[in-house]
Amino acid sequence: MPAPPSAEPAASPFIQIRGLHKSFDSQKVLQGIDLDISRGETLVLVGPSGEGKSVLLKHIIGLLHPDAGSIQFDGTSLCGLSERQLAPLRRRIGYLFQNAALFDSLTVAQNVAFPLIEAGIKNPAEIKSRVQEALEVVELDAHTEKMPINLSGGMRKRVGIARAIVGRPEIILYDEPTAGLDPIVTDVIDHLIKRLQKRYHVTSVVITHDIASVFKIADRIVMLKNGIVYFNGNPDQLRHSPDTFIQDFIAGRSGMTS
Amino acid sequence: MIAPSASTLSPQLPTPQSVPSLRRMDDSSRGPISTLGRAVLNFINYFGQLGILLGEGFESLVKTKPRLHLTMEQIVRIGFGSQVVVIVTGAFTGAVFTAQSYFKFRDFGIESTIGSIVSVSLFRELGPVLTGLMVAGRVGAAMAAEIGTMKVSEQIDALRAMGVHPVDYLAMPRFFAMTISMPLLIAEAVAFGLGASWFVAVLGFGIPSAWFWMHTIDHTNLEDLSYAMTKGLVFGMLIVVISCHQGLSTTNGAVGVGQSTTRAVVFSSLALLVTNFFLTLLLNYIFPMGTIT
Repeated sequence: MPAPPSAEPAASPFIQIRGLHKSFDSQKVLQGIDLDISRGETLVLVGPSGEGKSVLLKHIIGLLHPDAGSIQFDGTSLCGLSERQLAPLRRRIGYLFQNAALFDSLTVAQNVAFPLIEAGIKNPAEIKSRVQEALEVVELDAHTEKMPINLSGGMRKRVGIARAIVGRPEIILYDEPTAGLDPIVTDVIDHLIKRLQKRYHVTSVVITHDIASVFKIADRIVMLKNGIVYFNGNPDQLRHSPDTFIQDFIAGRSGMTS
Repeated sequence: MIAPSASTLSPQLPTPQSVPSLRRMDDSSRGPISTLGRAVLNFINYFGQLGILLGEGFESLVKTKPRLHLTMEQIVRIGFGSQVVVIVTGAFTGAVFTAQSYFKFRDFGIESTIGSIVSVSLFRELGPVLTGLMVAGRVGAAMAAEIGTMKVSEQIDALRAMGVHPVDYLAMPRFFAMTISMPLLIAEAVAFGLGASWFVAVLGFGIPSAWFWMHTIDHTNLEDLSYAMTKGLVFGMLIVVISCHQGLSTTNGAVGVGQSTTRAVVFSSLALLVTNFFLTLLLNYIFPMGTIT
């Protein structure tokens, strides 16, 4: 199905992706992604598992490099930049990994303080207050001295969110922020994403399989299927799409009978 | 969700799986020439990767400040943490070498000169090589396992995502710590080796202490110490580069961490033994033995 008319605003995109291809050995994951992300919008990436959503997210932050195509971040092409050249751009981005990727050897507070210290903030009082503030947002301010190994999966994910937001990045990339969380905390995270957007004009790209969250937070929804953008539109367009695959995806229908 | 981990050290670093020519050879013929060719290519590829790591390390040295806190932490882990291993290795090597030498030297009536042969051997070969092998086993394995676990659990990608180069944060503090610790550990092993040698020779076999020390001091000089320190420095660098490379190249989950750990120990030990031979020839040219009395 061709992508419906784009709901993107006319302003120059914060992130511009053109003709993105990526394969791993013989497996073609991305086969020509074209996508613009505007400043301040919340874009939700959906699609079946294994369709390259995380791979696309890793390209946006330069953790993976494309086989073909280009990615522009605020007018700067990421292609061909070395790790050291990418570092200043990456400090403008917050990234929540699927499994949180907390540092095992650091406490919760040290994990959250890490981006601040690496950004050169030296004032311990400022670091402490910002860490506390970030942990309060995810309701983990009482667990600052715990080691990641002593946290549940959901708590680890929330520490990962605190670490992603503590540096007040311009854009936050969330790889399944609510997977494994209970419905109440999921709602807290959804509100957090919207609050960051409203208060700080933060751009968010969110991968999620939680359809309720999709409609709660998305300004725009992009569905990846077979390595291309299968749908690109706003929540209403998705909800009223005549495409049967999209409707099955939203309703969670596999077509199997018991 | 397909989320293959990002490349090893940097996106440019090739792996055998990412080099098309190597991949094609895996899939095609299995003849002896192809097997040999594959081995040669893998060998060259491996050295290429080590070269890239060294290059990134050099870049880090030039462009970034050393992370003193992390370096101190590693010195404690490598230096302080290796005390038992190094002391036992040094002491028992000195003791057994003394005993073996005594059994042979007494036939010629020159057992009082044991101190000289033990001292020179400990400084020039046994101290550096055996300490190096023990440290490769203890520290190299720990480095590869720790960094490898970070790699497969995306902690290294998390570092990169926060604008921190993994070589700056993980490899360089270990490199500095190892180059500082290794010569000192070797000196410690030699000291305990000589102490144990005295214990066995004097208290065990009844050699006069004065004779023991006279021969030891007469035949040991600053060049022997320089020999040991140089070897310690080189072995330390070898262990840290090979082990960090193995850790940073880890793929394939827990199995991969196990493989990287094993490879780190095996490759470090083999590299150490081979390098030791050539280093000995070079050092003997710089500090020739037997010219100073």
